[in-house]
Amino acid sequence: MAASTLDTALPALAADGTTGALRAGKEGTVYLSQGRVSYVECAATLSVEELLAASGRISATGLRTVRQAAGPDEHGGDILVRQGVLSRGELQFCVLGATLDAAYFLLQARPARTRFKEGEEHWLGAHWFFDVPGLLRECARRRSRLERAWPSAELDGRPVTPVSHIGAARAVLTPLQWELMRTADCTATPAELARRLGRPAYSTLLAVRELAAAGLLDTGQTAAPALPKRTPPGGRSQPGRGAGTGKEPASPPQAEGRHASGPLAVNADATDVNLLIRLRDALEAL
Amino acid sequence: MIGIEDCLSEAMSIPGALGAILVDHTSGMAVAEKGMPDPARSAAGLSEAFRATIDGVAVSSPEGSFRVEDLIITTDTSYHLIRPMEMMFDGPLLVCLRLDRERANLALARRRLLTITDQLVAS
Repeated sequence: MAASTLDTALPALAADGTTGALRAGKEGTVYLSQGRVSYVECAATLSVEELLAASGRISATGLRTVRQAAGPDEHGGDILVRQGVLSRGELQFCVLGATLDAAYFLLQARPARTRFKEGEEHWLGAHWFFDVPGLLRECARRRSRLERAWPSAELDGRPVTPVSHIGAARAVLTPLQWELMRTADCTATPAELARRLGRPAYSTLLAVRELAAAGLLDTGQTAAPALPKRTPPGGRSQPGRGAGTGKEPASPPQAEGRHASGPLAVNADATDVNLLIRLRDALEAL
Repeated sequence: MIGIEDCLSEAMSIPGALGAILVDHTSGMAVAEKGMPDPARSAAGLSEAFRATIDGVAVSSPEGSFRVEDLIITTDTSYHLIRPMEMMFDGPLLVCLRLDRERANLALARRRLLTITDQLVAS
């Protein structure tokens, strides 16, 4: 069956309840199991194998051995669980996380040519299932989440460049944001950093946009307008997660200048009021 | 060792349990749920509550670093327990449990939830 684009092929295959692999050239593959998506691979994101290797739970050689031992009797994922490399829950979460990450970027790339191979399975087996509308809904939700964090996509493909001085009084970072700030070398893009850190590309992109919203990244504009842009327009969305408390005025109004203007300068200051009261009392006592 | 669905069933077997949901904290997505009225909104809301709490505690803690074991929210009718689980490459994954305040034993529920989450990520 030679299907057209991924957008049209996927719902059709899902409706027929098919099992197999839908290949979109070199860009990625969608694995279906009885009409539901069980796994997605995308060239731009880390696969479960790569995530496992990055986590240090199993070596590349160990993974190859499991892959060779895997077959219809026992899928690779089940072998990994049996060997105690990871728990059933971790495997499921790993598969669903990698699937959503890959689906987000693969569907956005809109690959034009696809080829379906009926009956083909991923060697790990099927461990989590998405119905196609649900998967598309989640991708749309993730897209709007990115928009809310920082409404421009121009940073997505550019090297991540931390600013040398932050405008905020304090910055709160998530663990991933910290890793990003530590690893960012002003040449690696978010996708490259995700690969280097062994993290999902979407989470990395979201963290990068939040860092930009918090004024911690060079957004390519002149330094001055970076701070006011921190709260993106539209919706009363919270300031980004790593926002810190940059919105507050730098410090309480300073008192120094007043003393210089002479002892008679009177303000609604407690000391001034006390002085006036004491003066009045003294005059009345005369 | 248990899977995600078993984790939910186990959580729902805790006395007084009204609803349980697993939330991917990074994306705010509902991974799986049982007995939740609107999973997508619940996931987004609970994830935001967890984030806000962490931020609030972070700026008001004298110690430099801390780890949240769980979050207990008491309303007039129910308890909400939120427990983060560090996952291998992303996360945390939040297990959120809503309990009937009349029927639930909070201390017991916390212990049971700890046992369940330990089984989910045990390896």
